[in-house]
Amino acid sequence: MNVQQLGETIKDRFGPDVIDFETLGPDQLYVTITPESLVAVAEHLYQNEGCRYVINSGTDRRQQRDAFLITHFFTQDEEKIYIAVHTEVGADDPQVDSITPVVPAANWSERETRDMVGVVPVGHPDPRRLVLSDDWPEDLYPLRYDVAHDVHPPPAEGVAPERLEPPEGASVVPIGPFFPVLEEPAYFRVFVEGEQVVGADYRGFYNHRGIEKLGCSVLTYNQVPFIAERICGICGYVHSCSYCQTVERAAGIEVPDRAEYIRTIVLELERVQSHTLWLGIAGHIIGFDTVLMQTWRMREPLMWLCERITGNRKAYGMNLLGGVRRDIKPEVYGDIRGVIDKIGDEWAELAAAIPGDSTLMARLQGTGILTTETARKLGAAGPTARGSGLAIDVRLDHPYAAYDRLEVTKCVHDSCDNLARVLVRLEETLDAIKIIHQALDDMPDGPIMAEIDEELPAGRQAMSAVEAPRGEVFHWVLTGTENRPERWRVRAPTYANLQCVPPMLEDNALADVPICIGSYDPCFSCTERMEVVDVNSGQVRVYTEEEFRNEYDQPGDK
Amino acid sequence: MTFVLNLGLALLGGPLLAGVVRKMVKARVHSRQGPPIIQPFYDLFKLLGKEDLESSPSLVLRYAPMVALAAILAAALLTPMGVRPPLGGHGDMIVFTYFITIAAVMVIFAGLVSASPYSMMGAGREIMMHLVVEPVLIICLVIAAIKSGSLVMWDMAAWNYVNGPSISMIVGGVALLLALQAQIGKIPFDIAEAETEIMGGPLVELSGPKLALFEWAFFARQIVYASVLAAIFIPWGTGFALPWNIGAHLLKITVIILLVGLIDVVNPRLRIDQAMSYFFGVVFVALVGMAFALIGA
Repeated sequence: MNVQQLGETIKDRFGPDVIDFETLGPDQLYVTITPESLVAVAEHLYQNEGCRYVINSGTDRRQQRDAFLITHFFTQDEEKIYIAVHTEVGADDPQVDSITPVVPAANWSERETRDMVGVVPVGHPDPRRLVLSDDWPEDLYPLRYDVAHDVHPPPAEGVAPERLEPPEGASVVPIGPFFPVLEEPAYFRVFVEGEQVVGADYRGFYNHRGIEKLGCSVLTYNQVPFIAERICGICGYVHSCSYCQTVERAAGIEVPDRAEYIRTIVLELERVQSHTLWLGIAGHIIGFDTVLMQTWRMREPLMWLCERITGNRKAYGMNLLGGVRRDIKPEVYGDIRGVIDKIGDEWAELAAAIPGDSTLMARLQGTGILTTETARKLGAAGPTARGSGLAIDVRLDHPYAAYDRLEVTKCVHDSCDNLARVLVRLEETLDAIKIIHQALDDMPDGPIMAEIDEELPAGRQAMSAVEAPRGEVFHWVLTGTENRPERWRVRAPTYANLQCVPPMLEDNALADVPICIGSYDPCFSCTERMEVVDVNSGQVRVYTEEEFRNEYDQPGDK
Repeated sequence: MTFVLNLGLALLGGPLLAGVVRKMVKARVHSRQGPPIIQPFYDLFKLLGKEDLESSPSLVLRYAPMVALAAILAAALLTPMGVRPPLGGHGDMIVFTYFITIAAVMVIFAGLVSASPYSMMGAGREIMMHLVVEPVLIICLVIAAIKSGSLVMWDMAAWNYVNGPSISMIVGGVALLLALQAQIGKIPFDIAEAETEIMGGPLVELSGPKLALFEWAFFARQIVYASVLAAIFIPWGTGFALPWNIGAHLLKITVIILLVGLIDVVNPRLRIDQAMSYFFGVVFVALVGMAFALIGA
């Protein structure tokens, strides 16, 4: 079924409730429907068309249309189509029917839209506050355009999040808000009977930085990629890629081939870097520090390589609309191959050793079960979904950059446990190394940046996704005036995967909780470089790579 | 004289050997440089010099660290370390077991009186581990008692040296070696502390001198357990002339502690239920050893 046919099917089925539909290319469908039919359309897409839920977005369009635009995003992975379902609700009565009862994955994002834009999802099963801090005023909605980006409401005393009550007879073990193995604040309240977990409650978003608001209020089109890259401290490049692709798509900018290949290479380098980091953390969580030390030793030359290619170990700052800022010179190809091959060799050894380690297997096998059904219901993404037998991978389902010209393998395991998620990442890393080699082989010559002479048109929209190391990153942009997006919506993969954690924890021992949380790879920031501070004079000196190596390399590593 | 030997080995040898393990085994396997060998002493002195905070007004919490260290040192005085132990004539394996248990109970008390869910959970895990691990030690000592016809630990060591290896003593020694990792709280059995799960378990609320005393007791405990295994079940060297018998003992416990350290770095931590089922197996092995001892093998 192509995108036109899908649109017509929906129109035939819901008749006058479908106000309009339009398509963008062969893979994007935008349907505008009446608010009354929203639940029925969402249920139809989810149940009958086999769509996966992505995210919900709310846009304040009171200036243009005296209404709020509510958008639910779906994807049909088999047909390679992204679907946006728009509906408008009147500004005087900002309410919309909640689709969470029929599409459970919409749970968080409907609450987020309520918090940020103030459109209330009627009939939502769990209408607690999600994103805003506990002392944020009730009637101040930060994503509305009459609220400034730098508004600071006064702090309030004696406020606390609404909590779920533990089941009868269970006690509560707090994991967080700060916990040794969770590098970012996240607050799980785990309900236990003895050592057995019977449920969990989550409160997070302590680090919400209002990046979407900045992108729609103070930054310009070409400034956004840099802040987008800072959404994640470890795989930020996926966000700047996804944002750039979205705007390029909306404005019809043709990105040169070479730039697409460079983006692909950097994305895959980032995947290798992220997965090696994650394996170390996972080892540390279950008390296996040798894994942490060795994988991070393997990873370090890759960080130096990234610094050489992009100028930074992390937060590469490579993307602008229309292409990339730096070329990868042919004389670096050999170094790239050398570094990734060395990682590949050691990684393959590691991957072969893991199934033979019975103590390790005892901790991974059969723990943290996330069934295929639950994974689909809650919209799991990336390795979390693929470890639960869902064969989704944006690189193949919705190809972007140069992936349509490269051979990519979907690494899927169906044992649904922590082991499956480990194996998926182990295989994926080796696959990423192959992809980098292919991309270097096929890299075309030519410019790395498209010329953009005229102002970007307003009122256009596009969606784009990138397969981040942690799963599908999804961006939607509605272009605006004043050289910035009117609305920029971001979904990071952890947003979806985090919602899968409470069911994942149930029926596990408390001892397995950290590795279950770790197994979907929550994000954290890594520091840039080593600084030496002279305490007496207060002077700060940054070590160069050379000095660092001389001082700290083990004799055995040279 | 032997007072100095046993106390010195427990108090100074414990941290020193721990430092050796960290530098020579752990850091080597990690491809790291590792801290200086005497780092454990720096840590202990740093903690001892800190403000003595009390997280709960309980008297138990105030005295538990001292009692724990005292109990371990008393046990050390009963343990043969190359030569006849200083209190060898006054106490036997039953007193020894009591002292060891007192130390473990102090850790559990410290966990239970600290108002933290992590320390509660750690104390619960400590109790479970103690209940399956301690019987192994007792059964192994009973094997030696049956063979030597004495409850005094030095007599057991002497008997094994004189009479040479026997099936029951070998099986007992293996069972004790299998349990040693848990007795001194190393991975894969550091379940009660489990830093990444319950943030240090029973001791999570402790700091400063109190924590230092507990840590010191744990370092000394390594020496005591390794000495029991080395002196009673590995008879080599016991009859050497002074000072070679002490030298042989030091060599044996160093090898044992390095081995424990190596197992510690190449394994992840097990879950409590997995550890329990492992130790039911070890208890069974120990019981088989006892059966051999009873039929005279």
